[in-house]
Parts: sequence; C-alpha cells; structure tokens
Amino acid sequence: MPAPRPPQATNASPDAPLSRRVVAYEIDARLDAQRKTIDAVQILTYRNLTGKALSEFPFHLYLNAFQPESTFFRESRREGGPRKWEEKHRGSIEVKSFEAVGQGDLTSKIEFIQPDDGNPQDRTVFRVRLPRPVPPGASVQFRIVFHAKLPETVARTGYKRDFFFVAQWFPKVGVWWRGEWNCHQFYPTTEFFADFGTYDVKLTLPQNLVVGTTGDELASVANPDGTKTISFRAEDVHDFAWTAYANYRIVEDSWKGSAATVKIRLFMQPEHMNQANRYMRSLKGTLEHFDRWYGPYPYNRITVVDPAHGSGSGGMEYPTLITAGTTWWMPAGFLAPELVVEHEFGHQYWYGIVATNEFEDAWLDEGINSYTETKIMDSLFGAERSALHLWGLTLADSSLQRLTYLANPASDPMVRSAYQFMSGDAYGGVTYGKTATALRTLEGLIGEETLRRALRTYFLRYRFSHPTEEDFLKTIEEVSGQNLRWFFDQAVYGTHVLDYAVQSIHSSRVDWFEKKPPKEKKGETLYRTHVLVRRLGDFVCPVEVEIKFDNGETLREQWDGKDRWVRYTYEKKAKIVSATVDPGRKVWLDRDFFNNSKTDKANAAATRKLANIWRFLTQMLENLLAWLA
Amino acid sequence: MAGAWLACSRWRVLAWAYAVNLLLAVVAGIPAALSVSEILDHSFEARRLVKGFDLGAFVALLMHPEVSLGGPAAGSLLVSLVYLAFMLFLTGGMLHDFRQEQRLSIGEFCAACGAFFWRFARLFLFLLIVLVPLGILYGLLADGAGKLAANSPQEKLGFWLALGCTALALLLFVAIRLWFDVAQVRAVAEDERKIRCALRRSFRQTFPNFLPLLWFFLVTGVVACLGSAAAVWLWVKYIRPEDLAFSILLGQVIVLLWIATRLWLRACETLWYQRRFPPPVVFAEPPSAPPVTLEMPSAEVSPPSGPPEGS
Repeated sequence: MPAPRPPQATNASPDAPLSRRVVAYEIDARLDAQRKTIDAVQILTYRNLTGKALSEFPFHLYLNAFQPESTFFRESRREGGPRKWEEKHRGSIEVKSFEAVGQGDLTSKIEFIQPDDGNPQDRTVFRVRLPRPVPPGASVQFRIVFHAKLPETVARTGYKRDFFFVAQWFPKVGVWWRGEWNCHQFYPTTEFFADFGTYDVKLTLPQNLVVGTTGDELASVANPDGTKTISFRAEDVHDFAWTAYANYRIVEDSWKGSAATVKIRLFMQPEHMNQANRYMRSLKGTLEHFDRWYGPYPYNRITVVDPAHGSGSGGMEYPTLITAGTTWWMPAGFLAPELVVEHEFGHQYWYGIVATNEFEDAWLDEGINSYTETKIMDSLFGAERSALHLWGLTLADSSLQRLTYLANPASDPMVRSAYQFMSGDAYGGVTYGKTATALRTLEGLIGEETLRRALRTYFLRYRFSHPTEEDFLKTIEEVSGQNLRWFFDQAVYGTHVLDYAVQSIHSSRVDWFEKKPPKEKKGETLYRTHVLVRRLGDFVCPVEVEIKFDNGETLREQWDGKDRWVRYTYEKKAKIVSATVDPGRKVWLDRDFFNNSKTDKANAAATRKLANIWRFLTQMLENLLAWLA
Repeated sequence: MAGAWLACSRWRVLAWAYAVNLLLAVVAGIPAALSVSEILDHSFEARRLVKGFDLGAFVALLMHPEVSLGGPAAGSLLVSLVYLAFMLFLTGGMLHDFRQEQRLSIGEFCAACGAFFWRFARLFLFLLIVLVPLGILYGLLADGAGKLAANSPQEKLGFWLALGCTALALLLFVAIRLWFDVAQVRAVAEDERKIRCALRRSFRQTFPNFLPLLWFFLVTGVVACLGSAAAVWLWVKYIRPEDLAFSILLGQVIVLLWIATRLWLRACETLWYQRRFPPPVVFAEPPSAPPVTLEMPSAEVSPPSGPPEGS
C-alpha cells in the first residue's frame, strides 16, 4: 500500500507536525565523563502506520560496530584500515533490559541478527519478537535500559581527550520501508536511516561541560553531585546527536529565512575563534541559496560544531546540528572550512528533511548534496576558484568532484547499496563525485534552471518522507518534460564511461594532384577538410562539435554519438584551425577534457611551463643532495 | 666577507657547478615534457595551465592514462645522484683552489679534483653511516612528538613539537656536516690520506670551535633563505602566470643563490682553517761552516786574544 503523502510543511502553525511522527523517543541519560560511559533509560513509542500488524521489531546498536570482529572493522581492515587493535577504540552498547509495555520483559528475547553478511560476531542489529503483534494504527511502547561505552573516536562518535561527540548512541528502531523492515548492519561506508519523530532527551553530565544538541534546550538544573541535567526537545527529526566540551566558545547569530528566523550557534574551539566568521559567512550564504533555490528551511535553529583536533568527528550531519572542521593554520584561499559547512548544511535538506535511505541510496543524499554544493560554492566564491585560490593555484569545487569520479569511473553504478561497493574509494568516487558530475551533465542537457526547478519540486514533494531513486528520477522527467531514461540507464543504473575525442583534423588542397598547382593563397585556395570525432567510451550521449576555420567561420554540428565515430568533410577556401567536442563544456561526465579539442597548430606554452617547473624542482633536488657532498 | 670575496674570485667554480646543475636538470626534464606534450600541445584544455594554474586540470593530466611520471621522476633522482658525484669531484679542486694565493689553472684544478676524489668519496660513505642514527633519532622524536600532540588539547602543540624536532635534527645535521666539511678542508690542507684519522682530528678541531663555524653556516643560510623568499614574493606578487621567461629567471636566481652560498660557506671554512690551524713555521738552518783548524802555536807565540772562530 503506497505510503500516504506527508503533510505540507509549514511554519504557519507552530504546533502542527511537519512529519508523520512515527517514533517518539524519551531518553534519560547520564554521562560518566571519566569512564566515557552512558547509562540511560529510553522510552520509545512506535506508531504502527505500516498498514500491517507488526510482531517483530529490529533495532540498530551502532556503537557495537567498534569491536574488532564486527563487520565494520572487518571491512575497514580489508580496505587497509587499522593494523593494530587498541582497546581505547572499543565501543559498545548493551541492552540491560527490554520491555514492551503491556507485554512484559522481553530481554531474553533479544536476538542479534546479521541480515547483510551473516557475520555472527557483528552485533549492530538485534530484533525482538513480540508475544502480541501491534495492530495497524496502534502504538507500542518499549522501555529500554542500556549502557553504552563510548570509543575513542574511530568514526564520528565517541570522545577524544575530554571532548565528546555522541551520535548513534541509543537503540534505534529500524524503518518499515517498501513493505518490510529495513535495518542494515553498520559498515565503514554506510550512514543512517530512521523514521521521523520527536526526541525528548535529558542529559545528566558534569556542570563544567558546554553542551550542544539537535534539539532546543528546555531547562537546565544543577545537581548537588556536581552534575547538571539539561532537557532538550527536537521535533520532526530522525536522529539526535549531542556534543559536550568544557572549552567551547559559542558564537550566536540569526538568519531570517522565508519560513522562519533561524537561530545560529557556532560551538568553536578556542584556537579557531578567528575562523568563526568563515563558518558564519558560508552558513548564511548556504541558507540563503537553499531557501531561494530549493525551498524553505523549516527549523528554527542550526548548530555548527567545530570539533576538537584529532577527534575524527568533523564533516558530518545530524538533524539541525552539523560538525565542520578546520585547523589553526587554514589560509583564507583554501576554502575547506567553507566547503564543509556548505556540504553538511546541505544535508539538512538531502537527508535531514528528504530522508532517503543512506544504506541503499547513498547517492540520493551524498550525490545530490555534492551537486548542490558545487552550485552554491560557485555562486558564493566564484566558479573557477570555489575550492582553492592560493598562490596562483585555483580549483573549482566542480572539478574536485569530477576528479573523485575520474579516480573510479566504472567500478559501480550509482544505485548500488553503500555497503556493496568495490571499495571505500569507489563508494566515495561514485556516490559523491560521479553523482555530482552526472547531475552537472544533466544540467547541461536540460538547462540549469530546469534542473533547479526539478530539485525544488523534489524537495517540496518529498520532504519529511523517504523517497526512492525512482521518485527522484521521475520528478526530473516530469519537470523537464523529457524522457531521460537513456541518460539514467547509463549514468545512474549503469557503469558506462563517457569519452568523446577529436581524433584528427586535416586540411589539404583539393588540387593536390596537379603537376604545377597555383601557389597557396589564403581565401582563394580550395581545401578539403576532414574532422574525425570518436566515441571512445561506451556512454552514448548527443554532443555538439564546433569546427573553426582560418577565415573566421565557425560551424556547429550535432552528433547523436550512437556510432563509434563520425567524420565531417568540408570543401572551403579556408583551412581548419580547430575542432572541439562539447565546446560549451556541458558534458562533465567526459573522462578526458584534453582530447575534446584539437588545434591545427601546436601551442607548447603549457608544456614549457610544466617543463620549467619540473626542471626547477630537479635542480633543487640536486642542490639538496649536494649537501651530502 | 673575506669568504665571500674569495668565493667571488673563484667564480669559475660557481659557473661550473651551476652549469652542470642546469644541464642535468634539462636532460631530466625531457622525458616529462615529452610525456605531456602529446596531450597538451594541440588541446584547448591546456590553456587552463597557462593562464593561472588550474589544479583540477593539472591533476586530471596526472591521472591521464598516457601520462606516466614514474620514469621521469626516477630520472630526476638519478641526475641528482650524478650531481652529487660531480660535486664530490669538484670539492677537492675547489678547496685546493681556495687555499692558493692565485687561481689554479684548469689543469691544476682538475688534477686536484682527481687527487682528492676518492678520499672525499670515502668521507661521503662515513657521512652516510653517521647520518643513519640521526635519521633513527629523528624518527623516534617525531613519533613521540606526534603522540604528545595527539593527546594534548592544544592543537598548535603538534606544530611546535614538529618544528622543534626538525630544528633539533637540523642542528645535529649541521653539526655533522660542519665536522665533515672541516675533515675535507683538513684533508686538502694537510694532504691527509687516512680518512679515519682525518675524521678524528677534524672532530677535535670542529667542536671546540663550533660556534664560529655555525655562524658561517647561519649567515650563508640566512642569505640563501631571504634571497629565495624575496624571489618567491616577487613571483607571486608581480609575475603573471603566463610570463614564462620571468618565472624561469627567478627560478634560476634561486638555484644559483643556493649553490653560491654553499661555495661561500666552503670558502669561509677554508679561510678559518688557514687562520686557526696555520702550517707550522719552519726556521731555516744556518749554513754549515768548514771545521776550524787551529795551528798549534810555538812557545814564543802568544795565545789569540779573542774567542775562537766558529763559536
């Protein structure tokens, strides 16, 4: 039965929920900052909106991934991960008791399952079968007592020295999706998937810690034992993360959006305070662009956490809370802090509000977000320098994304589940780089404004729900009014590589056979010109070919790209100067821009420049070694 | 200043060192240029490397299946080793030349180079042996510093520790280098053939006089660094990316500066050694006189009134 459409998100009535609140978490947790443990009681109220009676419930226990024999570590080591196990990296979460209210203690019914790889040592998923199923439309309440041991951060969550970033720290119920439970094990390349709901969280922790969370702070009470208990509430989100560190410096500001005034809080490391304005500028620019291009930001807050050095928590997104990252020496021309803020905020839309399945459709959040990242970074910082402009070097963010794609252009399709890619590099290259580059190419095909409208429609239609890849692709076709299956079949579902090349250009006199031909004269001698263009890859895409002659004439040919090559022949009183495939640089998926053009005359300026650099570096190496003489 | 003057007066040595440096680098650069010219010379995409420097285009070029820089990189390393050998050869003649009042002729210079080459080659091997524990020490220090930095809430601590370890390693390297420099100067000055003896003696000569030697090193090093920094500043501020001629010129100024300051240091060391350990003064022996023959006087002959001749 298709899921009902979500309610229209609006802030006109603050009490109206923005999402189908499937879950309501109430968590009362105490942090032991010395032992790095959390003890908590969790009440989870689950509304059965599946239309079916549910008798079993799976839960994620993500922290159990940080054990040597878990699937997470097995796969990390396969990718060249840690050679040595260190006990400080062990994390765990233990369910002390599990009760279904009204159905009794089900602790002994906890059964660890491994639905993906069958690794019996992996305990990141458990399920519980209820004595009585929960009828459709009814709710069930679980009371779970758990004890969590935080690892010294390996990936995103844990502690580093006295800095805490705590995410995926509580038993999280799976998602009923596409007619069944969706609850995957945790892998190095996977992120998360959960239902929308509410979170009421109480944290008891040492008084000296400054705390930032997903939710709004409701109250703070000092306890006689030197701790404090802070209450938070977050609505219409699907996760709850928090951070605690005594040395945070907080910078506050606000931004007025079309739906709400957004309260901004930066939690800065003291030694990075001089970079707070970089974070703020990027965040406000991003908020403005997303609001204008894709839709209103529906929440009243956004928190940016600048994590402690070496913490491994940077560059990640959680609902209304993101982690950024910088260093004390970050030059202004190296736009890493701006880029990470833009990217992680972008996830508020693509993942936070349009909550796609990050296990199975990682490209729908990482890839779309990487594409919108390139657009916004270009808009904010300039198209050719949106990632770097330092000491004469420039780098566009779109080029950066394309380079990650070029490193792994053909290993996996975009639609592959995150945990099934050939390698971590392939996952990154395809999910981020290839998707961004493919969308950039699509932009070239259907128009920038059309694609922007399509993304806006997709956001507004699917916010606070869990769309699939077909929902996204169909939206693009609907808005563009074009059948784009040929493109999607190759770029999204396939591993086709796109590469067009101008193989050769040549002009020769028509009267070459004459014994005494007249002297060559520009504008008078008749030439026959051949241009050979080839499709070197297996991706078929219509392209433009531009041919220029030395009399100033420019011709544009349209090639459907279906055959492996095409030859253009002309007879003119002019010689060819150059031929270029895709002169407008719309087909970003082309794996080699260097062979897209060919000029009649050589211009060795670039070769000379690189040769000079090489020569200089060799000379300095000689000088260095000569110090041993 | 005397060292600078001496190095300037022997400008031919600098010219040879620079010429060989440049020639070897040009040769090493040919395979790299050939590797990329096929792709760049007829492509509009190459413009992204000329006007400015698009790092994306450059990395895409490096990732190109037809570009292979492993061979050219090995070639650059090889020519650097050849240059090292050349400088070992040149150093003997250079130090001998520095010791002379007048410039040596080319024949004398080359003869001196040859005469001292194998001694310097043996010194070089000893230097490598001495540098191994330094490398190990640096590795241990860097590892320890890294652990300290990772466990410290102060982010900058890692930077300062790395800087400190590097400075310490550099100081130790300089000390060793100065010791071996003095060994070379001594080998030439004393025509020392026993290298281990030369090392022991030069050790005893170097470290009691470490500060003045370190001063020479610091002055020449600061000049090299400041000159390079000025050249880089000029390049960043005023040279357009497409101005290849100026870029080449500035690059060569930097290379020349580093060679010149190294020769300047060697000249200073030679002069210092001459002043600090002058050759012993040998007094001339008086001319030998024929034996005095005394005629025995008769009884009536009175004895001579003065001292006997020859006393």
